Formats: sequence, structure tokens, C-alpha cells
Amino acid sequence: MKKTMNTALSSTPNYDKLAVQLDAIKSDTRAKVGSDDAQYIRRIILMQRVCEWSGRILLMLGFLQPLLWVLGVLSLATAKILDNMEIGHNVMHGQYDWMNDKHINSKAYEWDIACDGSSWNRVHNYEHHTYTNIIGKDRDFGYGLLRLSSDFRWRIKNLWQFVTYMLLSVLFQWGVAYHEMAAERVFFGKKKENRKNAITHKELKQRFFSKGARQLIKDYVLFPALAGPLFLWVLTGNALANLLRNLWTSTIIFCGHFTGDVETFKEEECKDETRGQWYYRQALGSSNISGGNVFHVLTGHLSFQIEHHLFPDIPARRYREMAPKVKAIFEEHGMHYNTGSFIKQYSSVLKRILRYSLP
Amino acid sequence: MQWFLPAWRDGFYRARVISIKQINANTLNITLSTEDKWPVHQAGQHLALTVDVHGKLTTRVFTIASGARRHSTDNEIRLVLRVKENGALTPYLRSLKTNQWINISAPKGSFQLPTDKPVLMVAGGSGITPFIAMLEDYLALQDTTASPLPDIHLLHYAKQDEHLLLDELSKIASAVSNFSFRILTRERDGDVSQHLPLFKSYQWMVCGPQSLYESVSQYATSHHITVESEHFAALSPIISNSASKQTLSLHHDNTVLNVNNQQTLLEQLQQANIPVNFGCGMGICHQCQCVKKQGVVRDVRTGELSDNAEELIQLCVSQAVTNLELQS
Repeated sequence: MKKTMNTALSSTPNYDKLAVQLDAIKSDTRAKVGSDDAQYIRRIILMQRVCEWSGRILLMLGFLQPLLWVLGVLSLATAKILDNMEIGHNVMHGQYDWMNDKHINSKAYEWDIACDGSSWNRVHNYEHHTYTNIIGKDRDFGYGLLRLSSDFRWRIKNLWQFVTYMLLSVLFQWGVAYHEMAAERVFFGKKKENRKNAITHKELKQRFFSKGARQLIKDYVLFPALAGPLFLWVLTGNALANLLRNLWTSTIIFCGHFTGDVETFKEEECKDETRGQWYYRQALGSSNISGGNVFHVLTGHLSFQIEHHLFPDIPARRYREMAPKVKAIFEEHGMHYNTGSFIKQYSSVLKRILRYSLP
Repeated sequence: MQWFLPAWRDGFYRARVISIKQINANTLNITLSTEDKWPVHQAGQHLALTVDVHGKLTTRVFTIASGARRHSTDNEIRLVLRVKENGALTPYLRSLKTNQWINISAPKGSFQLPTDKPVLMVAGGSGITPFIAMLEDYLALQDTTASPLPDIHLLHYAKQDEHLLLDELSKIASAVSNFSFRILTRERDGDVSQHLPLFKSYQWMVCGPQSLYESVSQYATSHHITVESEHFAALSPIISNSASKQTLSLHHDNTVLNVNNQQTLLEQLQQANIPVNFGCGMGICHQCQCVKKQGVVRDVRTGELSDNAEELIQLCVSQAVTNLELQS
């Protein structure tokens, strides 16, 4: 496998050894997973419920004291963030399937976001996690909207891609929801020939609209209507909470894959990849963000994007204890462990978006 | 919700632990009080017991070792079970606390005592459990019916000094003259078939290990006698040597096909042209995930064997170890 971008990497690592070492971390950690993890995810779910309901109630109390309304917005936004990141994302990765719980598993969980869970499972769990950063296979790289490496031909529309990026952030949940349909050219564009479809376009459309409509009705009709005369207060509050969630999730996710040093790969390089090479690609295609306890929980531990990509179905809270071991192994192999503060990583993302808006 | 109703779980019934007694070195007697909506069992039926073991909901099937009559008076059922030291569930049952809530399924099974004929019961080891439940109800029946009860004879096989519930059996035998039993061991009394000829006119019931069942059913077929049975093969799978190639049967939704234990389930379903979702083929993306209702699979990545109970598996990294039942 050849690198397509320059990094500090001096030599190619011993892939087989890398695989053995990382597999060992994985099995050590898996052996520790147990009642602590079950208790943890149930506690987070409880916390999410408390945040959601107190948020929705506080929004209705805004007429007593506007500050309560502000608290309500923050509380509801936190609930949505917890639901999408630490609960939804991780549960849908199958991190808690071992619990045999009828509701906390990757088949049953449905999250509070416009994107239909099973559509996300296909694009994210399958395409993005299997073919991470392989240009042409991982449609999450730039989401078909942004040019983030020289692997893509420059087009005029890339000139204003920074604005496109901001819009995507604001409407992130709809971007995620529409993602698979855009890629499958359900509505617009030339249909690609010979695509193997796991799902028909009709079903895709139907699921998109039914999930989207449910979310819209919930946040912009049902709950505002329940508030009666305070309809607008609640409507605005819900919109703001959704906005905060969109900005937060999109920012964290961009920091995980589109920082300056993140590498891309070509399809032909990854043919007949070994397990070690797969690990290597996951490692160089992701970047971490350092931070405190609350920060990690709110990112759904995607601040440990490297560990998440190496071990997508280990309960995410375990990434913290895995990280130092992973880092040590990377150093041994002379591989770059891409991490930094939020400010550093985010400014690196913005620079990358700007850099590739020009040819 | 679980704050108010501990162990409240969608799709399960709840039961409270009343007592746990160690009958001998490796046998437990667990008394449970069932919640009111639990559908009452018939003696001889079994249930699935589900307990949180280190965060993992683990399920095993056990026969209810108490009669329906007892349940109607005090709402209690009893399980008598053998602890398997390397088991996924039974060793943890020792540490259950009194008043702890656990989950049970509705009673299942059609192993029931006929009341119109004399009956021969053949029990092997902990296979005594459905019979003790039936005998409990049989004993209670004596007080309510005027007509004499049908004859019952029990052949109770177990290893030397490991026969369970002897005191209860003696009590029943002394209370009901139509009931008698014999304590047997293989070493001392030989194969069960030697003891069968006396009972040719009886209705036969067997509960115990596969070998016991086979002896009885062989004899029965050659003498045209029908046998009701509850043998353990149905409850606990037989895991054979993994190295040699075997053909096993797979129920997938509504189709049945033969699979081997060498290729992954995904490969074999695809070869059989059964439409299944799939993705990465390496156990990451969970696209090919489906519900395994029953059976044991091996994870090809780690070689680990799964539980026999219902759980989610990924077809692309699973090989069949026993016969399987899957639901996509």
C-alpha cells in the first residue's frame, strides 16, 4: 500500500505485527466489558430522558422567566446530542449487542434525528467503516459536496464550498438523512449502472419521508401544539435545539476525518488488503480530539475517532483506556497518532476546506 | 421504569426469588414467586429463565419442578437445577439474593401426565424435575377425586448417591398407595431396558439424557409402545468435535437447508440463493446481522462459541456448530 499524501511516516510498518498487537488490545478490552458497561449505557439513556423531558417542560415555562426557556433549549439540545452520539451512534454500531437487551441493540434502536436508522447503518457502518477514506468507495469523504483532497478534480462549485460547508453544518441532520439517496441518485442525476442495491429506491424514498415527517411533526407541530398559546416559544426552542445539535455533531465529525493530516487511499491500493493494512488505513484516516470527561461523553467518544475506527464495536467508553496503548503501538511502528485540542483540530479542518476550494 | 418495577422488561414476565437452597454439591433448589399475570403452567412444562450476568442478559431453559396446584395456593414455583461450573448462567444463580427480581418466560411444552392410564416414568439425573411436578399435582388430586388414581411407577436413574428429591418421593409413595418408585444406578442395576418388560401395558414417559432416551425408545419401538419424552437434546445442544466436516440443518425464516461447519453462514446462504443483506464480510458493519433463535455458532475471528439462547449474530463471521434457527 502506498501513501497518497505526505506525512511524517518514515517507513511502512510491519502490518502483520500491527494486526496482532491491535487484536490483542481488542480482546483484552472485550474481556473486561461487562456489567459496568451495561450500567453505564442505561445511566446515559436515563440521563438523556431526563434532559429531554425537562427540556421540553422548561420550554413551556418560558413565559414565567425567559431564562427557563434558554435552559430548556440547552437541555433539549443536550438530550438530542446524547441520543445521537453516545447512545444512537454507538448502540447502532452494535457496541452493546452482547447485552441481549431487546431495545439496546443495533437492530432495534431508532434515534431522534431525521435520518432513518437502517439507512445510516448501510452508509455509515458498512461503507464508511469498511472503506474508510478510500476515494470513490467511502462516500462520507466530503459527502459528495466538498472537495477535501487533490484526489478530486477541482470544479467551479468548490470555490464557495466553505459556504456549502456552513449550510451543511446547519442542516446536518437532513444532510445525513439525504446522504444515501443522493449517492444512489434517487431523485437527481445520472443513475449509476450495475449498482448492487440492498434496498429499492422506492423503499428508500418511503423511509426517508416517513422518518423525516415524523421528526418534523414531533418538533414543529406536536410539541408546539401541546404548548397551546406558547406555540411559537416551543417551536423556536425546538428549532434552536436542533440547530445546536446539528452544529455540534457536524463539527465533531469533521474533526474526526477531515483534519489536515488525515490521509486518503486509492481503491486499487486497497485490493486484497490484509487485516493489518485495514487497521493501518483506519488509523491514518481518522483523528482524535483531546478533552475532558463531559466533552468525551457529548462527542459520543468520537473524540477517540482513531480507536473507534480500529474497534467500532467495542463500547465507546472503553476507548479512553485503549488510547494510550494504541498510541504506544503507533509510535513503535512510526505511525502518526493524529490528536490535538479541539481548537487545533477544528482550525485544521477549516483550513483544509478552504485549501481545497482552490485548485 | 425499573425503579418502580425491578427487572421490568418488555416481552418477559417477572418473578421474585423467595429462597435458594443448595440440595447437594451441585444442585440448587430455587423457589420463585411469579407476578400475577404469568400464565399458570401445567406440571411437566418448562420455562426460560433470564438473568443479568455481568451486564449480559443470559437465558437458559429449566423444567418447573413444582405442580400447578402449589402455584394456585401460594403463587410459587420451584426450579431444581444442576450447576454446571463452566456454564454461562447456572454458577451465577448461586449468588441470587432473596427478594431479587428476575425474568421468566411463559411456560412451554406439552409433556404432561395422562390421567386415564397407568404410567411408567423413567427419569435420568435431574430429569426427575418434571415428574416431581406431576407427582405433586397427582398427590393433590387424591384429596379432590373420589375415584382411585391410576398406577404410577417411577424408575429413577442417577449416579450413586446423586438421586435427587428422595425424601419427597418417599412422602408421596407413603401417601398414595398407587405410586411406587425404584432407585437405580447403571453400575448396579444395568441398562434401563432390563427393567422395562414389566410395564408393557403402561404409558411410558422419559426425561433424561439422550442415552437414556435412546435405550427406552429402542425398546419401545421394537415392542410397539409409544413414548412421551422430554429429553435434554432438545434443551441443551450437543457440541461435537469441530475439526471434522459435518452437515447441519439451518432454519432461515421459512426455508430449511443443509449447511456445513466449515464455511460461514453468509457464504452458504448466498450459495443457496437466499436473499440476505450483507456488507463488509469481516464483522464490522452489522449489515448481515440476524436473530439466532436457537443453536450454537462459532465466531470465525476468535473461535469463540456462542450461547445456545436467542441473540444477534453476524452471518459473515459465524459458522454453524449445531443445528440452527435464524430469523432475518
